[in-house]
Amino acid sequence: MTFLQQAMLWGLFAVSIPVIIHLLNRRRFRTVEWGAMQFLLKATRDSRGKKRLKHILILLMRSLAVAALVFAIARPLAGGFFGWGGGQVETVVLILDRSASMERSEKDIQVTKRKSVLTKVADAMNELGAARLVVIDSATGQPQEVPSPDVLPELSFTAPTDSGADIPGMLINSLDYLKEAKAGRSEIWVASDLQRENWAPEDSRWEAFRASLSEEDFQTKVRILALNGRERNDFSIRVVSARRESGELVLDLELTREEDTGPTTVTVNVDHMGARSGSEVAFNGQSQSFRKRIALTGTSGQGYGWVSITDNANKRNNVSYYAYGDEAPAQSYLIAESSTDEETLKSLTTALAPGFANQQVITRSPELAYQVNFEAASLIVWKAPIPQSPVSDQLFDYVKSGGVVLFLPPSEESESSFAGLSWGAVREAPGEKYFIVKDWERGDGAFRDASDGSPLPIDRIRAIKRREISGDFTSLANWVNGEPLLARRVIEAGQVLFLSTLPSYTWSNLEQTALHLVALQRSLEQGSRRIGASFFAVAGEESSLPVGEEIRTRVDSYEEITDPGNADFEAGVYRLGERLIAVNRPLGEDSLEALTGADLGSSLADTGYSLLEEQDASGNNSLSRPVWRWFLIAMLLFLILEALLCLQPRRPVTNSAPSPQPLT
Amino acid sequence: MKYDFLDSDVLSRLGALPVEARLAMVGNVVGKHRSPHRGSSVEFAEYRKYVPGDDTRRLDWKAYARSDRHYIKEFEADTNLRAYFVVDCSGSMKYASGEFESKIQFARRFAATMAYLLVNQGDAAGLSCCDETIHLELPPSRRPAHLQNFFEVLGTLEPKGETGLVDALHTVAEKIGQRALIIVLSDLFCDSQSFADALQHLRYRKHDVAVFHLMDPQEINFDFTRPHRFVDLEDSTTVVAEPNLIADEYTSAIREFLTNTEASCHDVQADYHLVTSDQDYEEVLRDFLTNRLPKKGKK
Repeated sequence: MTFLQQAMLWGLFAVSIPVIIHLLNRRRFRTVEWGAMQFLLKATRDSRGKKRLKHILILLMRSLAVAALVFAIARPLAGGFFGWGGGQVETVVLILDRSASMERSEKDIQVTKRKSVLTKVADAMNELGAARLVVIDSATGQPQEVPSPDVLPELSFTAPTDSGADIPGMLINSLDYLKEAKAGRSEIWVASDLQRENWAPEDSRWEAFRASLSEEDFQTKVRILALNGRERNDFSIRVVSARRESGELVLDLELTREEDTGPTTVTVNVDHMGARSGSEVAFNGQSQSFRKRIALTGTSGQGYGWVSITDNANKRNNVSYYAYGDEAPAQSYLIAESSTDEETLKSLTTALAPGFANQQVITRSPELAYQVNFEAASLIVWKAPIPQSPVSDQLFDYVKSGGVVLFLPPSEESESSFAGLSWGAVREAPGEKYFIVKDWERGDGAFRDASDGSPLPIDRIRAIKRREISGDFTSLANWVNGEPLLARRVIEAGQVLFLSTLPSYTWSNLEQTALHLVALQRSLEQGSRRIGASFFAVAGEESSLPVGEEIRTRVDSYEEITDPGNADFEAGVYRLGERLIAVNRPLGEDSLEALTGADLGSSLADTGYSLLEEQDASGNNSLSRPVWRWFLIAMLLFLILEALLCLQPRRPVTNSAPSPQPLT
Repeated sequence: MKYDFLDSDVLSRLGALPVEARLAMVGNVVGKHRSPHRGSSVEFAEYRKYVPGDDTRRLDWKAYARSDRHYIKEFEADTNLRAYFVVDCSGSMKYASGEFESKIQFARRFAATMAYLLVNQGDAAGLSCCDETIHLELPPSRRPAHLQNFFEVLGTLEPKGETGLVDALHTVAEKIGQRALIIVLSDLFCDSQSFADALQHLRYRKHDVAVFHLMDPQEINFDFTRPHRFVDLEDSTTVVAEPNLIADEYTSAIREFLTNTEASCHDVQADYHLVTSDQDYEEVLRDFLTNRLPKKGKK
């Protein structure tokens, strides 16, 4: 609660007036000579207790009535957002998260979280009166002064976008602004849906922000309006990759929903170069990947389109755009150390390019690994000791951009590690015995079940030699002793795989079972998704913007851009000069992970922040309501209670001078 | 009139009303009140058998003629009444609220008027004024000249100090040898049990007791509004009190006191009259005398 007329709170001293009057009254007694003193003394003795309590309550009611009146005059604002101890604020910096996830609406489809928060902030600012409002929005990240709170919902820099939000960055910007502007008594209001991706609690900038905030000469309060209500189940769709493959456009799509409510069907519409088609997709679980193939003519030329589902809680994640170019070969690299035997090499190269169209494998020695064309590589198989920098850095960037690297056991021991994984010692099975697989991940990864649901015969794998894997990984298949056969570490869009045995008869029967082929082809397919990535960009990021003389024009017709000022932050298919690029919302915007209270506490530790959680963003409860009327009502109630307490209980009607009946 | 507590109009209005005793009285002269002894009045009492030594003049010859037995015909004896007014002169009797008279003034009016009526009908009236000690005592007399002294004493009464009512009643009970009408005029602000014992004493001595419990209306209703410093009229004890805070307890205590006092009087078959200062003493006296008139068929 805050008070617009804080000085009036000095009037709270007036609560002592009833007590003072009472004490003065006690001193202003009249003296009377009295006969029935024995009864008076007895009554005085007996009256201690209930009556005294009643008297104290009467005084309390009077004092509370005065206090309520003073509070009412001080014009209190309530709503939880301001908490207690607010006051006159000169500058309010609103950190506005206008990322795609803020376009979620709960009850009323028209009232998104962003709209709701803008209305509430406008109302609150009107209540605060003379305070200056500066907005730092998540798209531009720049402080911009708002002339009047009323126009807040209509401004370009408060309009919806498909971009993400960098909350720690915006907070640091806000402090920089406040320092520069010498804004006096100020407050930073953060309006966000507490999406963990946006807040990045492990980001090192939080420490800088905290340090900077504690350095401030003036007191800056941080208030967080958390719009984290999730009443409706939200479905989203995303184009994971789009690429030409054998005369077809292969769209890897991903459907996600917040809550798994059982099997359902989702209508997925595809608009490909203006030709629309729709299909029902059976959806089970929380997230589901599926593929759509669209027949193309020829193997060259660019194209684009979008995939959409029916509108639900958040319209912004119901569409995803794609663009594609010429067909490129699925290129894989085999980095093999010189000690690799011919049989293993042959087995691997055959598995990487078994003769399907457009698959190539290039073999390189570890020394020539720098020649690898990371841009074009779909998969890199590393049958050599784990590389050192700078190759390992290149490899890591490759993985981050969506590439897949499969490490196979090197022939020699090595201390190196990659992405936290490293090789251990070679283990050999005792004579006449094998290492066999106990369990494996059937829903995901290289050993997942076939599309018809039938499992791979992983249990037929027999190995006589394996190399141990250590580090932080997810095991996709385990030997009987619990050691991993296949370990995976996901790094951003890409994957790092460690296979603990080789497709060689001196190691295992992987070659005979052809399971290595399955694993390699599936990994190749996973890595191929990034090939079309040059046609994709994230809204608001540099890659989505024109370079040099390029002119940026939107080519899709899904939705018209209503505000040209926000075009840079809108998803869609754009032509940048000769290039075609599909701009989508960031992956993090579809993330369901919310910031926990502990995360928030650690990020804003010792900042004295206040948090208001608005579960229902579409509700009309404003951030600050003037509540002086309630205080007046409270005052009336206190006065009524005081009057009731003052009322003497009705005594039985008796003659004041009863004349008893004479006795006989 | 010389005495402000006497009103000739009231005296003339009440003059026709006789003062009656409820019990048989023992007087020293012939009067109009019933005596426990047989006497020579015209009121037939009973027959009894003649025993040697009886006055033969009292033989009922007609009864002898009818029954051939000797019977003595006995008649009621009529005697005079001696009334004793015990007036409480403690400081609390001085209390008067508002426009009403003090309790002592009421007691003066009542005692004087009734004494006048008694002497006027040939009965004797005595006075005992008590505070901490009985300081004034006027033996009963039926001489009209006695009234002068009676009124003088009443007129000079000055209430002060604590009450000596209980001791006074015991003294009266002991001093008065023969049956009498004892009229107590007091606010009875004394120990209830001691007062009840004193009444028992009077009753034991076969006195006819009438208690006039004098109270000021404010002493019963306690209708003060603002804080007051109450100074005791008897011993100057001071209490500062908020009337609102204690009114309930006070009225509850006073009602309990009135109930107990009335019950004590009932126990000894004494007349109890709660009289407040706002009542007209003439009314009170008339009611008292009227209620004492013998019922039809009885003397």
